Amino acid sequence: MISSAIMEPAVQVENLVKRFGSFTAVDGVSFAVERGEVFGILGPNGAGKTTTLEIIETLQKPTEGRVSVLGLDVQSNAAKVKARIGVQLQASAYYGYLNLKEILSLLGSFYPSKVSPESLLDQVGLSDKIGSRIAELSGGQQQRFAVAASLVNNPEVVILDEPTTGLDPQARRNLWSLIREVNQRGVTVLLTTHYMDEAEILCNRLAIMDHGQILALDTPRNLINQLEASYTVKLTMENPMTLAQLEALNGGVEVVQSGEQSGEDTGTENTYLLRLANSPTALKAMLDEISKAGLGLENLQVTPVTLEDVFLELTGSELRD
Amino acid sequence: MIALILADIKMMARNRQAIFWALFFPLMLVVIFGLFDFSGVGVADVAVIDQSGGSKAEAFRERLEEIEFLNLEFDEITAEEAREKVLDGDLGYLIIIPESFDNPEDQEQPEDQAQTEVPGPVSLVYSTRIPDRNQLVDGAVRNLVSEIHSGDGPVIPSQLLTADVILVPEVDYFDNVLIGLLALGIMTNSIISIAVRISTFRNQSILKRLLVTPLSIWKFFAAEIAAHVLLAMVQAGIILALGVFVFGGHVNGNIFWVLAITALGSIVFLNIGFILSAWAKSPAAASGMGNAVTLPMMFLAGTFFSTAALPWILPQLSLALPLTPMLGALREVAIDSEPIWETWPYLAALGGWVVATGLAAVKVFKFG
Repeated sequence: MISSAIMEPAVQVENLVKRFGSFTAVDGVSFAVERGEVFGILGPNGAGKTTTLEIIETLQKPTEGRVSVLGLDVQSNAAKVKARIGVQLQASAYYGYLNLKEILSLLGSFYPSKVSPESLLDQVGLSDKIGSRIAELSGGQQQRFAVAASLVNNPEVVILDEPTTGLDPQARRNLWSLIREVNQRGVTVLLTTHYMDEAEILCNRLAIMDHGQILALDTPRNLINQLEASYTVKLTMENPMTLAQLEALNGGVEVVQSGEQSGEDTGTENTYLLRLANSPTALKAMLDEISKAGLGLENLQVTPVTLEDVFLELTGSELRD
Repeated sequence: MIALILADIKMMARNRQAIFWALFFPLMLVVIFGLFDFSGVGVADVAVIDQSGGSKAEAFRERLEEIEFLNLEFDEITAEEAREKVLDGDLGYLIIIPESFDNPEDQEQPEDQAQTEVPGPVSLVYSTRIPDRNQLVDGAVRNLVSEIHSGDGPVIPSQLLTADVILVPEVDYFDNVLIGLLALGIMTNSIISIAVRISTFRNQSILKRLLVTPLSIWKFFAAEIAAHVLLAMVQAGIILALGVFVFGGHVNGNIFWVLAITALGSIVFLNIGFILSAWAKSPAAASGMGNAVTLPMMFLAGTFFSTAALPWILPQLSLALPLTPMLGALREVAIDSEPIWETWPYLAALGGWVVATGLAAVKVFKFG
């Protein structure tokens, strides 16, 4: 018989509320992270992602609700929880006058069990930097070191807060590989990100969060499939179009962006964004209407819907930085 | 270039806490120096034992009280106790007015001269600690005694006052300064260095990173204190070695006791540094706050100048500062060769400071 402890989720968050004065940072959040999965929280800055993580990490106390990690209540078992999780904070530095090996040895000394610095640095591809100081590392190397530091106690759950923010595309991909490797060794990964591609590629399941609430929670594929539309169509017209004209074109689902709203981002005022249903006739019907109305089409892009479209659908706005 | 200068000014102006302390600092120095009376030698504590009780003795005492730089004490104290205090440095001078001050005694004279009646000589007891001041006090008291007896006919000043000089181990002003420098170095390093260090760690989220580990807060405090106390010992050793071997200073007492007192004082100042770091929003502000605490303490605790030169109730207030008992204990052990247990009132005061500042630090300290 499997014990109840083994059946417990890696992280269980129930009706979590966190208020700072009159501001509610986390507003009734509930979710569970299953053991062995990569669970992502996607949302813009200020969505409440970091506050939620910090409560899980025992850094903050919840105003209401309950959080448990590996079956342990984080409020009453903070020390035990800390011993079994690894944490990479959104912004944290390390002692500047110690080298990488010394920092990992020091951090390891705080835990009942620890992994050797050499092994950790080998895992993150920084063996040749063992005697270097943090300031001598590139941004990507520093983030990889932060992941290594989060693994110093051989944790069962690793919590990574925006691990790739500020990294160049190559460094981001290197870090994705590292996170996958960590997960493949059986470590549960809970991460936050505001990168759609990262969430889609890395996460088994994803919670989309904004204004302190979870708006949707599912696998990235299911979240995308929930959208009625399957394609996004970007039209660039020779002349401006009215909303009525756009809606008349709409052989598909909806008008997402029109006129000036789109122009702000693209620099092209006559660019319009529409979503089309997954129907072989929808695109043809729309193009026929453009032709029939005598509207000059300058450019046309058709792309499958992504998480970004899901986010737009859920929040009514683009992801804020 | 101009844009950069303007941006720099703007950034500095916006770091309000740092700019406040930067402005506060020189203003405070002006106030503190203004409070000191550098025109004289300071005030000398004098105990007066009147064995005569006559009218001349009374006149003498009244005239003594008129001398500005003498701080007279007429408390009940035996001559032996007062001598002991002079020897220890707790009392500057002891004046004993003899019974025969008002009732001259016959003095034996050679047979060829008539017998004369001379008043008994006043005893002035002092140590060799502060030669310049001794000269001044001896001269002033001697003149006064002569004046009091001048109505009785010709007087021989040398017969009216006997100086009882207690030899103490060789001590000069530099020895006092050396101990002051030692205490100052430990205080400054402990307060400012820990306040800036912790503030930097907090700003860089290093403290937050430690907080997600199972490390206990008390272990963090203990480790920081232990490392800094060790550093303070090394610092004390270097300061004393330089003072003694290069500049000819003296440490007459047991060096291990000196280091033990240094360690105790260092813990108090580290606790104060932790408290300041909790309030400082940036390392620059922490540094300013540290200076604002250490500088007044340096002057008001008598590190280099006697607190007797301070006006109003400031000499009494100086007793309430943690540097004062540290300096007192260090000077008694290092200069007066007292065993450490003889300095227990100072050690008790320092111990009280350790507990009070430690509790306050734990109460106000923030990791995040």
